[in-house]
Amino acid sequence: MKSSFDKVYDALRSIKLAAVLLVLLALLSIAGGIIPQGKTTGFYQLHFPGAGSRIILALGLDHVFSSLLFLLVAAVFAVNLTVCTFHRLTGELSKPRGKRRHGPDILHLGLIILMFGGILTARTRTETLINLRRGESADLPDGAKIVLVDLNYEQYPDGRPKSWESTVVIHRVSAPAPSAANTPAPSTPGGLPQYLIKVNAPLRLKGYSIYQQSWHTEKQVVLKDAMGMSFSLAPGMRGATKDGFVLFMALDNPSLGAAVPASSTPATSSAPAASSDPLPQSAIFLLEEHGKRTVSKAAPGQGIGPFTFDGYIDQSVSGLAVVSDRGYPFVAAGFILVILGVFMTYIRKLKGMLA
Amino acid sequence: MIATIAFGLLILSLIIQIVYLFKKEGGQDVISPWLSLAAGILLLVEIVRRSIAIRFVALTGMFESLIFLACFLALLIFALRYFKTTKGNRVIPFGATIIAVIFLALASSPLAPSEIKPPVPALQSGWLVLHVSFTFIGEVFFTVGFVSAILQLTTKNEEKRQSYDRLTYTSVAVGYPIFTAGALIFGAIWAEKAWGVWWSWDPKETWALITWLTYTAYLHFRLVRKSTSNLVPALVIVGFAIAMFTFFGVNFLLRGLHSYA
Repeated sequence: MKSSFDKVYDALRSIKLAAVLLVLLALLSIAGGIIPQGKTTGFYQLHFPGAGSRIILALGLDHVFSSLLFLLVAAVFAVNLTVCTFHRLTGELSKPRGKRRHGPDILHLGLIILMFGGILTARTRTETLINLRRGESADLPDGAKIVLVDLNYEQYPDGRPKSWESTVVIHRVSAPAPSAANTPAPSTPGGLPQYLIKVNAPLRLKGYSIYQQSWHTEKQVVLKDAMGMSFSLAPGMRGATKDGFVLFMALDNPSLGAAVPASSTPATSSAPAASSDPLPQSAIFLLEEHGKRTVSKAAPGQGIGPFTFDGYIDQSVSGLAVVSDRGYPFVAAGFILVILGVFMTYIRKLKGMLA
Repeated sequence: MIATIAFGLLILSLIIQIVYLFKKEGGQDVISPWLSLAAGILLLVEIVRRSIAIRFVALTGMFESLIFLACFLALLIFALRYFKTTKGNRVIPFGATIIAVIFLALASSPLAPSEIKPPVPALQSGWLVLHVSFTFIGEVFFTVGFVSAILQLTTKNEEKRQSYDRLTYTSVAVGYPIFTAGALIFGAIWAEKAWGVWWSWDPKETWALITWLTYTAYLHFRLVRKSTSNLVPALVIVGFAIAMFTFFGVNFLLRGLHSYA
């Protein structure tokens, strides 16, 4: 006569239960693959009228992969896998050495570690997106600063992107660093190693990685002061004046206007690309003088506060993603074990097929 | 041009196989396996030619993927005949040849532009090559399992049914680890390196997982169900249908990170 514990244990390690749970997970995933996810209640009521939308919303099928139902099935599957692995492994270990088959154990163990890593990733992963122009810097999670030294964008003749690459240096706390985020920094910081970040080749640092996420160009305004010195401002950036500042807010109707190239190279360290697109006629600025703020529109050649609006330049901007993921080593270990286990379990069948 | 010749060879192979299928007397079809081999080699040459042109492994578009699938399926058809895995059964190589012909017919359709294009930055990865090639090689074995599972479900002869069951299982058991490594693991590693995230529930990822879950369920059900069960081979048929939907349907119906595939 089996005890209650034995009955529960047998049920939890059962292959039948595993197979049924796999089918359930597949069916829920199909629901997640067919039903649009994360839409509003109104969307489901409109596209799945009547009982359809009620079932979707009641079962959480509008967000299947984080729904209670999916997580519950996945949790039972995890328990089933764990108990099954334990049962099988102890059984195999009791056999003579030559007769043991550990492929399924390694595969199942890999899946358990993978699930643990996945949960850890879901709960602890952070991603910060930073946009940097040449010479700009941003703070990193460990207090270091990243400075964009250079960025390179290449296209194929048909206009598709060929490569995006950012050359950066990392200023540690002990090393001299720029004073604030998004402020100009020396373009050739002495003594610090330069790192190349490109798509598919992230920069791995202790505790986080930096990925080349995007690349784009933005129009900047070039302003010239009374001395004839010019400098550029990106949208949202300000230039100091004697009595306040001038802030470049936005382009005014970018679809209008003819090209107005900047007459001189700006004083910043960047080397902007030459503009080839039609440029907007005017830009919108926020001016602060003696504490009084006004919004003004100016076209190239016109004055804006103490400056002359000299024209536009195209400035390249590198989009970098700073990702911290504590689940990384577990997921990686899980992958190795799954591959090892699945091949150990099944690849011998190839001999049966082609022998 | 090379792919067209390969297509012609497979059509010729198909015609010869049809003749032998309807032949009442026995007789060995010695020509069609070699036609399959020739077609497979030609398609491999086409992949190499395109790879040289773009200086990267040519596996980054729909046309190239279909060529790759048809190439390895043609080579597997030859291997099945050469190693006598199908034990003289003519229907399995025939069914697999039909599917290879369908792949090539789709490759010549407007759905799969054959223009040679070098890859965009996200696709310039060795992990992508492993991801795609392993996934498709796994699916080539699933194709044989699919044909065998249909025969398993339709035959009334118990001996044949068991023979088909063995072949279905062996095909899935060989394809499964290759598919697991390619579709799920190498794919996740590539995604992590390219976008910094292992898994994002992108439609292609979700449907690849559904394919994997279906074949995993098959392998488990087969351990516990009787060989007369119809559910077990039905799962292989469903699994192959999902694999094909993952490849074609998701591309055209559900856009995501894999929209270039």
